[in-house]
Amino acid sequence: MTTRQTQTTCCYCGAGCQLLFTTDIEANKILDVHPVKGRTNDDKACLKGWFGWDFLNDPQILTKRLRAPMIRKGGKHSPLEVVGWDEAIKFVADNLAKIKAKWGPDSIMGAASARGPGNEPNYLMQKFMRACVGTNNIDHCARICHAASVAGSRQTIGEGAMSLSIPEIEDAQVIFNIGYNAAASHPVVARRIVKAREKGAFIICADPRITETARISQLHLPLKGGTNLALTNGLAYVIIDEGLEDKAFIEAHTKDYEAFKEIVLSYPPEKVSEITGLRPDDIRLAARRYAGSRSSVILWGMGVTQFSQGVEVVKSLCSLAMLTGNFGRPSTGTGPVRGQNNVQGTCDMGVLPDVFPGYQSVADPEMRAKFAKAWGVKALPTEPGLQLTRVPEKVVHEKDPAKRIHAYYIFGEDPAQSDPDLAELRETLEAIDFVVVQDVFFNKTALYADAILPATSWGEHEGVYTSSDRGFQRIRKVVEPFGDIKDDWEIICLISTAMGYPMKYKNTEEIWNEMINLSPKFAGATYEKIERQGSVQWPCFDKGPADKGTMYLHKGGQFATPDGRGIFKTSHYHPPTEVENNEFPLTLCTVREVGHYSARTMTGNCRTLRNLEDEPGWVEMSPRDCQALGLSANELVRITSKRGSVITRCLPTERVRPGAVYMTYQWWIGACNELTISSLDPTSRTPEYKYCAAKVEKIEDQASAEKEVRRVYTDIRSSMGIAQEGLSA
Amino acid sequence: MNSFIKANPSRCIGCRTCLISCVVAHEGRDLFELGYDDYKFNPRLFMVKTSMVTAPVHCRHCETPACKSACASGAISLEGERVMVNANKCIGCKNCVLACPFGAMDIVETGQVLPDGQPRRVALKCDLCAGVADSPACVRVCLTDALELVTDQELRDEIADKRRAAVEGGYFPASI
Repeated sequence: MTTRQTQTTCCYCGAGCQLLFTTDIEANKILDVHPVKGRTNDDKACLKGWFGWDFLNDPQILTKRLRAPMIRKGGKHSPLEVVGWDEAIKFVADNLAKIKAKWGPDSIMGAASARGPGNEPNYLMQKFMRACVGTNNIDHCARICHAASVAGSRQTIGEGAMSLSIPEIEDAQVIFNIGYNAAASHPVVARRIVKAREKGAFIICADPRITETARISQLHLPLKGGTNLALTNGLAYVIIDEGLEDKAFIEAHTKDYEAFKEIVLSYPPEKVSEITGLRPDDIRLAARRYAGSRSSVILWGMGVTQFSQGVEVVKSLCSLAMLTGNFGRPSTGTGPVRGQNNVQGTCDMGVLPDVFPGYQSVADPEMRAKFAKAWGVKALPTEPGLQLTRVPEKVVHEKDPAKRIHAYYIFGEDPAQSDPDLAELRETLEAIDFVVVQDVFFNKTALYADAILPATSWGEHEGVYTSSDRGFQRIRKVVEPFGDIKDDWEIICLISTAMGYPMKYKNTEEIWNEMINLSPKFAGATYEKIERQGSVQWPCFDKGPADKGTMYLHKGGQFATPDGRGIFKTSHYHPPTEVENNEFPLTLCTVREVGHYSARTMTGNCRTLRNLEDEPGWVEMSPRDCQALGLSANELVRITSKRGSVITRCLPTERVRPGAVYMTYQWWIGACNELTISSLDPTSRTPEYKYCAAKVEKIEDQASAEKEVRRVYTDIRSSMGIAQEGLSA
Repeated sequence: MNSFIKANPSRCIGCRTCLISCVVAHEGRDLFELGYDDYKFNPRLFMVKTSMVTAPVHCRHCETPACKSACASGAISLEGERVMVNANKCIGCKNCVLACPFGAMDIVETGQVLPDGQPRRVALKCDLCAGVADSPACVRVCLTDALELVTDQELRDEIADKRRAAVEGGYFPASI
């Protein structure tokens, strides 16, 4: 037996942990996986890092790996047929070309992947959409998670990423943690919070639930869901009212302070208390502690961004950090911690409707000229493209066929599981003329695909991921792929070439070099440097060894805005779009299950992770609400909103407030996105996953409900193409 | 004194990496090649979350084990620094489950089938990874170092330290 050791970056969450694989080369088999020392993880990993590689073995628990291209030769609703690559590529290229000729380039939408593929295929995907198709309609799932952080941060401090690094968190003196449950989202980041607490940090945790961070915090602010902006404005009020602001920093490094002040001065703690349900003195204490340290860090997650006021709260958080001079030194600043392994990278690569790689605006004629020249095209589209959450609006709600989306090329995403209001999304996919799914697994979106292009998975290809704290790190091939499948970047090149815009690369490094040479912020981060350092954090301008990258942003108060000044911004608070009422008396919020990831195609196909938590998932409820409905633990319940109804299991817990219920979003049976609302933030177009009205009902006949859950599970597996066999649910 | 695993709730984040590592240690890495229902997912530690506490519960490996006294079939014994259950002798009477004050004992399906076709169920608890790993798997994987193996020597050292601190800390007046 010949064995090989390969170090790679974990494919789950943005923490960027380093894992060492030992493989048996002849048998192409993984023998051992364990974490090794990396910049962000030391030598630690969570359960997904330790045990989440099992899907590479394709055990076919929830769905199965795609092994050959498939197309619907007879049009919509005809069966998927396995074909060779030549035929599949021609089919996709011809159909896209036909639609482009008939309806124009803006009738085609592209969604790229924040997950396994890595940066290089994403760079090519946006290049394909912009240079070959001729549209800026390119987006990815950052839209449904941290798009609000990117938008809000760029409008205030100029850079849409964590200003500090993950390791710096443990040396903060104050951590203001808002809408962020690190223990479920990024256990390796939670470790830094635990360490900070042990080193004496004061932790303020604003969250309606008692999360693990709330549990170890000195000050828990259990605010009512959806009232973040009232709280953050209230904190700014106290800071200004008590003269705790950093006047010198404001004067030297920021602008628009007066306009900000005018808004926040209408949020005295007593008024904020009425909105949030918090004690005025707790709001004052939080403000004093946050403003009272030179190493205050703000960490936030989906509990900030997945609201229709997400962008406003992000701006207000960045403004709080400016107000107190908490930028530009180690262990201070703002930390929107990114959920997916490469969601930062996919943003970096310009897989957004308004920017080229390196956050260079499509609206800027100079940038357009630079990219047009490099890509060998006469001109590039001038108008920002469509956000993916607006696809339903541009299909089922658009009366004029000339303005509709007619083709959707979806690469490494599963909108039919992850987007809000799934019934509407299914109707949308059904109505689009031509849907291409390029993925590793058969998934719910693939059911609506006219063409399915099978790609290699993480562990089967090379490339670079960007961790949440701007760290470029290598991913490496661990095992040889099998089946008639190709690397994502190769597939995109083939389609583009077939459509008359030839793309040809030898390997991912060649793609990477083209990208960094067009993106000043990334220009110095060569493969060689990434290999040598293990991780290179952008910005890294120079290829020479002296430029090692940037640990924290905004050094010396120099912001990444055009004039270098941070811009104060906030808005007035308004309540969420859909509030509880007589028919739907509970508020539903969607949350994360620590051992599962995204649409669960990967972790749902890992034996041990599936055994730890499986369908139909849970609804967390307060014991008081459970008692009122006569519910006990583990019982199946029906949960319903205006948009849909699903079955899940009841989990009574004192950690949630009466009136609020929480569902983890990874389940296919207890699919909470059948219930969520597609109400969007007006700027970021991020959906309000964190708030809608719902009701929970008791199911009298538990035995038949259990049977129903098993039947649905079997049906799902069969629709994913797995042969019928028993599965203990 | 027997060894045991101590959990620190101010470090535990409830992620349950420890539970899976326990299963993998005891089932063996072969499980990643078995059919997904062809192995038993029986962690020997249990994650508990109350309103303000999160921590896994393990067997304390008591010096006078109530489970051992209660066992009807002589399946529980002290071996080295551990309390062990002999699954071959266990009849699944559940006396140990009732006797254990920590809830550390569980009754699980073994995968074996009895002559009448019923699945065989026996008592299961933490064995400190005896015979399956060099050190307890849960301690090794814990990413916040919330778990610690406490041995006889460590416990004695800790007691000695406390006694020294008690004297030096002035708990005893210098002269009466």
